[in-house]
Formats: sequence, structure tokens, C-alpha cells
Amino acid sequence: MIAHLRRGYGGQARRTAVWIAALVVGVAAHARVSAHHSFAMFDTARRVTLVGTVTAFEWTNPHVYIELDVPDEKGDAVKGGAVKHWSVELGSPSILQQGGWKFSDVKVGDKLTAVINPLRNGDAGGLLFQVTLRDGRVLGNGPGRGGAQ
Amino acid sequence: MIRTAAAWVLALGIASSANAQVDLSGVWAPYRAGRGADPALTPPPPSPIVLKPQYAKPYEARRAAEDAATKRGEPLATAAVSCVPYGMPRMMAVALYPVEIIQRADQITMVTEAFSEVRRVFLNKPQLPIDEVPPGYYGRSVGKWDGSTLVVDTVGIKESVLSYQLMPHSSQMRITERIRLVTPDMLHDQITIEDPLALEKPVVYTLAYRRMPNYEMVEFICENNREYVDEKGAVRMKVKDK
Repeated sequence: MIAHLRRGYGGQARRTAVWIAALVVGVAAHARVSAHHSFAMFDTARRVTLVGTVTAFEWTNPHVYIELDVPDEKGDAVKGGAVKHWSVELGSPSILQQGGWKFSDVKVGDKLTAVINPLRNGDAGGLLFQVTLRDGRVLGNGPGRGGAQ
Repeated sequence: MIRTAAAWVLALGIASSANAQVDLSGVWAPYRAGRGADPALTPPPPSPIVLKPQYAKPYEARRAAEDAATKRGEPLATAAVSCVPYGMPRMMAVALYPVEIIQRADQITMVTEAFSEVRRVFLNKPQLPIDEVPPGYYGRSVGKWDGSTLVVDTVGIKESVLSYQLMPHSSQMRITERIRLVTPDMLHDQITIEDPLALEKPVVYTLAYRRMPNYEMVEFICENNREYVDEKGAVRMKVKDK
């Protein structure tokens, strides 16, 4: 499910009933220090909320990735809906560890909510802003990045 | 107060030697000005980059192209996008990645977490003439103690390995570092870049690091690089279909 956000990220972000691809919610206060590339390919002024199921979690360098199957508002294929796949880029293991992450925090099959800054070119990918894990913990994208900090 | 004084005595390694050495060993993380930073410990602002005209023109053109591309959301690629190491001097400050310093009497080794880069500083050895050092990413570094400050001289950096702020340089670039503890847990590295062919005047900037007690360095193998460079030289991210 893709939703836009009604309120900020410091607390529990609630989704509206309107299902749209994205919403401009203001410029995120991300640090622009990059491990090996600029973040300008991501639209950091927009945040998209993805609610889906993890198909892969790659704890790798130079970046960690969450692969996510995201059903539309009708639900999954069994319910007659369509599923769109998204690739979500995170920082590196080193940077994420400094922000409280562990390599085992995400498992295949987990249902989670990821708030991302989408790719500007329209591809189904983005930069993680904040994720709510299966156990309810909320993590950002490393120190100083994401509303969970 | 007593504990602080004791820490300083230990840190300075006051010994019977006339050339008292400081123990710089440990893991150090970049400490940047900004939110939560102690202004008393943040480094002074850098000096401006003043290149000679033949270097300034392409540098400024590249910076302008980078700015324009970034505004379009199509940032231009640097070598690091392809997982090429940073080399000296940029390797000394990559985002929030720590640097481990391993100190021996005859050598200081610095290992960066980003890209697992390694540089070795040979202590109390003479430097070679620049033209006798094979150009590389780290060049050849020699160091000596000036009181409690480690002074490191580095030459032999490849011209393709861009310098501070992606600045171009010639084969004659020389990097001088003055590394010292400003407190037991805060390190400053004042870097001076001289280049008689490329620079009108030296560039001086200081990096600050905070100690990371008990931190265990992690590996960094660039095995899953999904960024690539398109036909326009812009960085793109590959997404997966499933």
C-alpha cells in the first residue's frame, strides 16, 4: 500500500484513506554527506509511504537494500489487487549500525512500513527515510537521517 | 579535575624520552560542526582554494556542471560511484566513517572503514624526492614527532586521484599533516596542501575526530553496487523487478 502522510515523523505517522503515489511534505532535513554518491537522484522533498512485504534484505556495501512487494489498495493478487515491487536504498552497514540497526533487524516475509524519498526518474525505488519494523521499532537511515533520530 | 589531569598524562605518554610521544591509537570518527557539536572543539574554517588559471578553468567548469546536474536531479558521477577508493587526502574524511590508528614506534597505520583504505606512515625515515615515488592513491608518507604533534609528509599522489573538494592537482602535490590531541578524546588533523604547479597558494583545512571507545571496525567490501553511470555521466540507481 502506498500512502501519503497526514502528520510528521516524530510519532506514529497515520495514513490517510486516499491512496496516491506520493505527496510533497516539505524538504527533509537530511545530511547531504554521502558514502559514495550524491543523493540528488532522490527527491528529498517528497516522501512516499510503502506498506509491504520484504522479499530480500541485503546487508551489503556500499549500501543496504530492502526489496519490498507493495500491494495496491485492493490488496494482494488473491484479493484481486496488483503488487508493485520497490527497491529501497539505505546507508551502509557501518552507518546504519551507528544509527542503531542490526543486520538481523529485517527478515524475508516481514511486513513493514517504509517511508522513502523516491527516485526522481519515476523508477520504483528510493532512499529510506524511516522504517517501522515488524516489532514496532522505528529506525532512520543512520545518524542524523530520518525522523526516528 | 584529577582524573582529567591523569588522562592527559597517560595520553601524552610522558616518558623519560626527550621526544615524548603521544599515543594516537584507537578508533576515531569525524566530528563535524553543526547540531550538538562543541564550538570549542570544531576546527577552524578552511582556507580558500586558489588554483592557477590552467587548473582553475576546468575545475570551475566542472563545479558549475555538477551544480546544474544536481539541480536537475541527475548528479554527476565521481570515481567513488564505481567503488574506486578515495585516496589521499579525501580518505581522511568520508561521511561518518571512522578511522583506526594503529601506532608502533616505527610506523603509524591508518585504516579507514569506508572502502577499507590503508595508509602507512613511516616514522623517522627521510622522504624521497617526489619524482622517485610511484604515483598512487596514498603516495609515500613519512612522519616525525614535533613535541606532541605528529607531522606527516605525503607525496606521490596520482593526478587522477582528485584532492580536497575534488580539486585537481599536479604530480608535485605535497600534503603536510599536523596531527595532535586537542583533548584526550579529540583529535585534530591540520592538512596543508601545496602544489607549485596547480595552486597559487597552499590550501589549509583541519579535520576533527572524536574517539570511539570500544568501537569494533566493520568490513567494507563494495560487492553490491547498484549505482551506475548513464550515458550522460549521471548517477543512477538500478531497481529490481521483484
